[in-house]
Amino acid sequence: MSTAILEVQDVVRRFGGLRAVDEASFHADEGSITALIGPNGAGKSTLFNVISGFLSAERGTVQFEGRRIDRAPAHRIAQRGLVRTFQVPRALTRMSVLDNVLLAATRHPGERLNELVLHPGRARSRERRARERAAELLALFRLDTHAGEYAGVLSGGQRKLLDFARVLMAEPRLVLLDEPMAGVNPALGRQLVEHVLRLRTETGMTFLFVEHDLDIVMEASDRVIVMNEGHVIATATPAEIRSDQRVVDAYQGTARAK
Amino acid sequence: MSTIASFGFWSFVGIVAGIYTLFALGVQVQFGYAGLLNFGQVAFMGIGAYTMAILVVKEDLNMWLAAGCGIVLAILAALLLGLPTLRLRADYFAITTIAFSEILRYVATNEDRLTGGSQGTINLAGIGQASQYDGAWQSFLGKVERNLHVGSDAAMLILVWTVALLAVAAVTLLMRTPWGRVLKSIREDEDAATSLGKNVFLYKLQALALGAALGALAGVFYAWQFSFFSPDDFAPLITFFAWMIVILGGLGRAWTVPVGAVVFGVIFAGTRFFDFPPFSLLDSTERAYVRLIVIGLVIIGLMLFRPQGIFGSRKEMVLE
Repeated sequence: MSTAILEVQDVVRRFGGLRAVDEASFHADEGSITALIGPNGAGKSTLFNVISGFLSAERGTVQFEGRRIDRAPAHRIAQRGLVRTFQVPRALTRMSVLDNVLLAATRHPGERLNELVLHPGRARSRERRARERAAELLALFRLDTHAGEYAGVLSGGQRKLLDFARVLMAEPRLVLLDEPMAGVNPALGRQLVEHVLRLRTETGMTFLFVEHDLDIVMEASDRVIVMNEGHVIATATPAEIRSDQRVVDAYQGTARAK
Repeated sequence: MSTIASFGFWSFVGIVAGIYTLFALGVQVQFGYAGLLNFGQVAFMGIGAYTMAILVVKEDLNMWLAAGCGIVLAILAALLLGLPTLRLRADYFAITTIAFSEILRYVATNEDRLTGGSQGTINLAGIGQASQYDGAWQSFLGKVERNLHVGSDAAMLILVWTVALLAVAAVTLLMRTPWGRVLKSIREDEDAATSLGKNVFLYKLQALALGAALGALAGVFYAWQFSFFSPDDFAPLITFFAWMIVILGGLGRAWTVPVGAVVFGVIFAGTRFFDFPPFSLLDSTERAYVRLIVIGLVIIGLMLFRPQGIFGSRKEMVLE
């Protein structure tokens, strides 16, 4: 039996008078691939920001691996193994592709001034291991030939892959992907889906992703969470979702509004 | 011998360029590497200079110890400034830093009993008792002169530049470590750094403090070089000289700072020799302002034709 790695309960987040996320609750099982869908303005991105600590929840709780993270700062949440991406890949343009990936190395003593001075050997050996791992990841995403170049010269698709390589370098147990298919050509999208499916099988990594492309959602996810106007209105398997009247209404409602 | 060819004059320019190298290196660490808009760097120079002078004159403290205290106090001041302000957006932080440096300057001007007030350090021990804080430094300089068989200008030049180049080398090495990598990632994209588990606030604080320490070190040399100073020596304009140096040399590289400082020093001093028309129509005090105009024009020209600075990378500049 699988256990919940992420548990979101009654989360509320307002912007002025608008309740962007209104008592949203759901959970994601360990090793699952969960999709978060809903029309524009449903609160998906806000909820993502709350889970990853980039926004604070006004009420409600978020638990990751059984521990509350809703009061933890964003960098601490990432250190614990819950790592997010952004809609637009955030390449650090004036740093090399390799440095972009190395930056994500976890528990690196070389990132601390006192360790650098007191235990330079530890920092060096950690850096050596990080470089080995980074080289593997760059090869996996076919970015190894660009390792020494500025990340700013990469194409949009390559930046998406770099983002992915960087997230994996951070050794996450739960990955939050914010619209991974947005602005991606079908061939690259295919590649990304395969990476996600393979990683889940090989490492048991859990994925939660926001996505508008329903074909991708149907293909890649085990469970689908539907949001509308800040609420979670349905949680079901991809097959059930297609025939759920509330989901159809939510989507058609916005279709009419447009 | 005319000034333009005198060793004394140009070694003075060199000494000032060395002091400005240390001073601007702090801005390079803060802005060039970590992306912090510190417009109050001069405050740390003032803290270094005043702390050293006050402790030597009033507490009779050993000069080296007093200099160390000046640097430590500047670091503490940076932490005090950074703790409440580094969480602010970049532009608001910038405004606070300039206010911080002006507050300190006004305090130094008005707290006569502590600082000697607007009359400067000559008044440190109270009215009627001309005070000197650099006796120990002068005798140390004398030793260096005798050992190296050089004059006092040359000895100072060697000392300042030795320390300045060591600091440049240290910063260069530090920025190649994983610590420096995190600093650069913050300059590039704070949210990305945060999403990868980096405590952005803590790194900004460290960058601010390191830059402050370099500013204070420059302040200590400034005090020793000039034997006398007053709060007006730490006006905001001085901070912008550091910014000009960093922009002149090129951002994000430590070794461009000494080059920027020398170029800046030559332009600044060189304008003194504008004794041909139309400049000869101005009297000497008016001509002193011409140098500021020239420096301003150089910066505008640089921004138009070489925005990356003398040694910065154009390629880096156009990346998005």
